[in-house]
Order: sequence, then structure tokens, then C-alpha cells
Amino acid sequence: MEAEVIKAELVLPTHMSFKRIQMYEKYPKGQSKVRWKQLKQILQAEICQNYSPDEPNYVNIESPPSMQPCKRICDITGFEAPYHDPRTNLRYANADVFKLVRSLPNEYVQRYLALRKAAVVLR
Amino acid sequence: MPFISKIQRQTDYNRFPPSTPIVIDNGASYFRIGWAGETEPRVIFRNIVQRPRHKSTGETVTIVGDHDPALLKYFDCTRSGPRSAFDSNVVFQFEIMEYVLDFAFDRLGANGSRIDHPILITECVCNPVHSRSKMAELLFETYGVRSVAFGVDAVFSYKYNQLHGICEKDGLAICPGFTTTHVIPFVDGEPVYKGCCRSNIGGYHITDYLKQLLSLKYPHHMARFTWEKVEDLKMEHCYIAPDYALEAQLFQKGGKEAEYKTRCWQLPWVPLPTEEPPSEAEIARKAAIRERQGQRLREMAEAKRSSRINELENQLQGLEFLLQQLGQVQEEDIQSFLSETGYGSKLEIELTLTKVTQSLRKAKGEPKPDQAENEEKADSCTSDKYPLINVPDNMLTPEQLKEKKRQIFLKITTEGRQRAKQKRVEEELERERKTQQDEERRLENPQLYLEQMHTKYKELYEKVEQRKRLKTNGGHTNGSSSGGVGRGERLNAAQRERMRLLTTAAFDRGKGEDTFGAKDEDWQLYKLMGKDNDDDDDGADEDEAELARVSSRLQEIDPTFVPKPEPTASQPAATEVPHVRPLTKEDFQIVLGVERFRCPEILFHPNLVGIDQVGLDEMTGVSIRRLPSKDKALANRLTSSVFMTGGCSLFPGINERLEAGIRMLQPCGSPIKVVRALDPVLDAWRGASLYAANSRFHQQTFSRSDYYEKGEDWLRQYQVRYTL
Repeated sequence: MEAEVIKAELVLPTHMSFKRIQMYEKYPKGQSKVRWKQLKQILQAEICQNYSPDEPNYVNIESPPSMQPCKRICDITGFEAPYHDPRTNLRYANADVFKLVRSLPNEYVQRYLALRKAAVVLR
Repeated sequence: MPFISKIQRQTDYNRFPPSTPIVIDNGASYFRIGWAGETEPRVIFRNIVQRPRHKSTGETVTIVGDHDPALLKYFDCTRSGPRSAFDSNVVFQFEIMEYVLDFAFDRLGANGSRIDHPILITECVCNPVHSRSKMAELLFETYGVRSVAFGVDAVFSYKYNQLHGICEKDGLAICPGFTTTHVIPFVDGEPVYKGCCRSNIGGYHITDYLKQLLSLKYPHHMARFTWEKVEDLKMEHCYIAPDYALEAQLFQKGGKEAEYKTRCWQLPWVPLPTEEPPSEAEIARKAAIRERQGQRLREMAEAKRSSRINELENQLQGLEFLLQQLGQVQEEDIQSFLSETGYGSKLEIELTLTKVTQSLRKAKGEPKPDQAENEEKADSCTSDKYPLINVPDNMLTPEQLKEKKRQIFLKITTEGRQRAKQKRVEEELERERKTQQDEERRLENPQLYLEQMHTKYKELYEKVEQRKRLKTNGGHTNGSSSGGVGRGERLNAAQRERMRLLTTAAFDRGKGEDTFGAKDEDWQLYKLMGKDNDDDDDGADEDEAELARVSSRLQEIDPTFVPKPEPTASQPAATEVPHVRPLTKEDFQIVLGVERFRCPEILFHPNLVGIDQVGLDEMTGVSIRRLPSKDKALANRLTSSVFMTGGCSLFPGINERLEAGIRMLQPCGSPIKVVRALDPVLDAWRGASLYAANSRFHQQTFSRSDYYEKGEDWLRQYQVRYTL
């Protein structure tokens, strides 16, 4: 290991005196990795517990959808977008942007759409 | 830069008695750890873990937090990026969490056999019991801590600022964090989680949005937009617009103010060394060198020429002398005489003599005897030259017959040449006549003539272009935004026709009995396939020649005329090499205009990034409505103490915007006051530190035995009292 790396103590030591169980004992090398429950699974388990709906929990404190009309902005420039291109599904502000929209390769169109989670996802 | 890491190892760990709690603010972006009662955390680092491979030894190592990026050059980070223990704002990956805690305790200076201190650690609002119990288990089992307390970071921040008189005991805490934004109502100094509200949007989304937008806007500089750099850009330049639509209009119109608000990041760029025009002296020097070289070459050529002339003259003299001698020699001695000189006969000598004379003339630069004259002469003495032609065959010997054939051939070719010349002359005359007519017409009515010429040029140009397009047919009908070039568009017309014939042929033969070749017409197909579509090329050539003529004529008479790109030389547009423009300073500038307020705007309108939830301002209304008591006075008290904390509340203009937003939603005349935390980033830790230092803190903690005896349901209900 290089001197400057050691000096900066960049690498975490594998043995810690203050631990009762060391990392290498808990997760031995070569053993299949522990599969941690993703948040979705954790929440699924919570829902299965059938808690009373009056009690606040992680799921029910979530915000509802907005009541305000959806703001439409130009996907490229960020200006207000009165128009919508039916071919690419992009919103655009004016004729100049429209020209740009039509000249964009499909990959970029999809990336712009993905920004507002409107891209076509092929599974 | 509000976020500064501190990772120096602390040396005074043993100074603290086991009763002193350790306070941890376990945020999704930053991890902060320190001692209860102190005002600053001891260790701060980004809550991430990397597990790269060491380049020279090949072992996988663990690197926690952010370090000097220069040191990472010894590691191969391509396989694994930075990883976080969080999914949204909930800890789920406890292996990573353990690495983080290892590093944190190690840097705090821990050296005993266990962490013999109470721990206060923050968690998200309504943390799922699974995550909470795993965290408690990790702390008790692996580190052997004395006791644990869980609290919410935003609440600690609120309590800390309440103590400093920033906010009241009733109020709303708004905490736009890294991955989520919370609104927590406070009644009598205690958070009411029932009225709580969470939108899944935060600083992470803003940075990601900015990163994506910039990479789409500047695809060439994509590599520049690292997460850290974009985070810096966001903190330095982003602001909340008072009114998004108005601000966007300002930029759309352009003008001074928009220009003033536009930021520009100049990437390192070194101008290409420009070619300085050479100085006078340099030009003179070069010219002199060229002149000298030319002189030398000329001298060499001259010397060569004179030596050759000399040589030729010598040879000539020798030959003449030989001829003279030959004249004196007796007829029968000629053979023996000539064998000495190397020539076969007198004729040969004479031939050589004429050759040498010619070469000499050429070397001396005298004009060749005129070709035309020669031909004239040849013309005049056809009968002399071809004496055998008119003699009947039967009167000739075989050798003479051969000679006659040769003469006939020669005569035919000469005549052919003559005719071609004649035709050329005639054409020349014709052209002359045409130009003269043209000129006359022009002089009659210059304006009309010019117009006619122009229309003619246009027609011809279009005709030629059209023909070319038909031949190559590249990408002219391509209007689709995909920009891709399909197979059909890559082939030219001839190839496509061939393709069509082949497919139809294959298709026809595909079904039923194969009868191909039974009819004679079938074989015509091969002819068609083999043929290139050059059949109309003659017409094309004529048109092109005419176009060139008209174009040159127009250039002569109309100084403003600029010919369109040479139609004969141009290739299909797709294969043409694009004109490369030298890169300028402007190509290395990252301009932040609308992006400056477009990105943080997603806090108020999460649907801009496809998250269908309410924004900051509406969240307050949702939160108040969720409260069990519909007391109007309480609502007024809450809105008159709206408190902002968390990293994203650092954006300039967020207070004003939030105030305006709440005013729109609340009943008219509601008192509204929005305040920002003293330090939105560190106050949560400070509040927790103050809380843990209280003498009654130990009543809020639970021990290992509590954890195992009381069960999961109790742990789920567990909640500290924030007012001690």
C-alpha cells in the first residue's frame, strides 16, 4: 500500500478493537451476500401487520398528489410550454425549440422524457 | 460550501466517562458524530462507502466517506461506485451502515473493547420498525453500547432554534432534506406525527436534475459533470424564483437582467496557437532562399543543356565526316568501312543524322517544324507517300503487298485525323457564331437577357440536381426525428433497383414449382440486374456541359452571380466531410441560465420530475389539515412560526417564495412568518447534542435487555419526549 494512502488512513481497518463481532466474522468471504430487504419490502411487511389507520406510519404520512394544475414547462429550455409535439411527446416553448426537438436523436428525446418519468420503457 | 467534511482522528476519547452519550446525526447525505454537550460534531463525512480494488495488490478494500480524490488513483473504482445504506430516507443496508459506524467510532478515537456509551442516533419520521430494530440490534450486538435513543433530526433542529428564540412552541417545521421533504407540526413544543407529511423529493433530485440537464445540453462535456461538481454548482448558483413563470419569461425575452443573472462556467481551455503572419524580414529571407535555389537549378539546367548541345554537335560533326568519307570510299569497300563504324548502311547513317539534327534543334530551343505544315505537306503528297495504293495487287510482290497494306492503314488514320480536325474547326466556328448571337441579343436588351440566363441556369441546375438525386437518393425524404439512416436510404437508386429485382425474383420462385428459365424472358432479368442505370448519362453530360457554359457566361456578365456548389463534383450530402470549425473559448463554457431556478423549482412542483406529490407550499396546508384539532387559532399559531431547516433550505429566495405560497393557500388575513434555522445543516446535531446532555436524557433511552424483553410492538411505539 502506498505511503500517502496509509498516512491518510484512507482504507478502513478490517479489525476494530471496540467491536464484539468483526466484519470478517459476520460476513465471511466467499459466502453468499446477505440480501437486505429493500424499502418496498419493508413497507410491504409493515402493511401486513395491520396497524390501526389512525396511527401515523411511514406509508400514511406520505403527501397526496397536488391539487394545483400541473405546470407545463418546455423540456429543453424550461420556459413555459404552450405546445406539445405529438411525435416525440416533448413539450416546447416556440418554433425554434420545435426545430431543435425535431432534430434531436431518439436517444436524447427519451432522456428528456425520462427526466419527468414519461419515457417509453420497453421491458 | 456549507458541507465540510472533518475526518481527523480524535485523541481524547478516553477523557469522556461512560455516562457521556455519543450523538449521531445519521443523515442520508452526511454522517455527523460527536459528544453530547458540545456545540460541534467531532467527525463529519459523506454517508457513503466505496469498495474498490487496490491496483497493485488486487485486494478489495473499504473506503468510507469522502477523501482526497487524488488518493483514489491507486484504486480501481470502475467496478463499484459509492454506495449508501439508505433507500430513500430509511436505512436498509446494514452491512454498509456497519462500515460507516466502524469508521465513525474509529475516527472518534474509540479504543476499548466496546463502545461503552449511550447513543443518540437520528432516524426519519415514522421509521419502519424493521429498520429501527436492525439498527438497535447492530448497536447492541456488534458495538455493545450501553443504551440507545432514536430521535428525528428536524425535530432536534426545531427544538434547538426554539431555545434560541427563532421559532415558537407551536409551529411548523419544514425540512427539505437529501431524499425527502418533511413538514412536521409542533404543538406545545412536541411534534405531532399525525399531522406529518412527506414528499419524496429533496436535494438529491435537484442535483440529479441539474446533472441530467447539463449533460443533455452539453453532451461533449458530459464527463465534467461529476456528482460532486454538480452539487457544488447547485449550492453556488441555484436559487428559488419568486415566480417561476415571470422569471422564465425574463430569460425568454433576454435582455440585460437575464444576462446579469446568467452564470458562466469556463472550462479549462487553451487556445490553439494561431499562425502569426510572417514578418517582412522573414518573407524577404524566404524569397531570397527560393531565388537562390531557383538560380542554382536554372544554372544546372543550362549547363546540362549546353553539354548536351555540345555532345550532339560533336556527334553531328562525326556523322557528317563519316558521310564525307563514305562518299570518297569505293562502292565495294563500303561494307568493310561501315563494319568498323558500327552502322549497317548509308541509309542508317543518314537517318541517325536527321535524328541528331532534330534533337539538336530541340535542345537549342528552335521551334519544331509546324505540325500543320507537315500535314499540309503530307496532304499534298499523298500520292507520293502511298504509291502502292493505286497499284493492283496482282502486279505486286508479297513484300510490296505488305507495304501496300501498311500504306492503306496509314492513309485511313491520317484521313480520320483530318476529318476530326475539320469537325473541331467547324464546332469552333459554330460556338463563335452562337456567342456572337448571344452578345447581339444581350446588347439588344441586357436586362431581359440576364433574366433569361438566370432562369435557364436555374432550370438546368435543378435538372442536373434532380437526376443526381434520383441516382443516389440519399436522405432527402428523411424527416423523422430519429435521425437514423435505414438500409433503404443507404443504397443508391441502381443498387435499390437491383435489390428489388432480386427480391421479387426470389419471392416469385418461392412458391410452387420452380420454372425459372423455362421462358426466354426470364433470362432478361440478369441483364437488368447487371445493368447500372447509366443509360441516361449522355443526356446528363450534355446538361452538365450546358450548365457549366451558362454558369461561366453568367459569371462574365453578372458580377453578383455566385454559382451554386459545383454539381458535378459534389457527392451525396451524407458522405461529405463536415466542415470542421476550430474550437473556440465559447465551446468550453457551461452557461447556467434558466437551470439556476428550474432545478430547485422541483421542490415546489415535484411533478416537473414526474413525482406526483404536493410541493413545499402545499405541504403546509396538507399538514395543518391532517391535525386532529381543527382549531383556527392553532392554525394561525402554526403559520406564524414556519421554520425551515435541512440542506435545501439554503437556497436563496426560498423563504419569500414559501411565504407567498402559504399566503395563497391559507385563509385571508392569516398571520404568516417564515424563518430559517440558524444553521440549517448542523442545527439538528446541535439540538441532539443539547438534548443528550440533559440530565433526564437517560430516561428516554432503552437498554439491550429492554430491547429483547419488550418486543417489536413496543419498539414500534417507542418515541422520545423532546421536552425534558
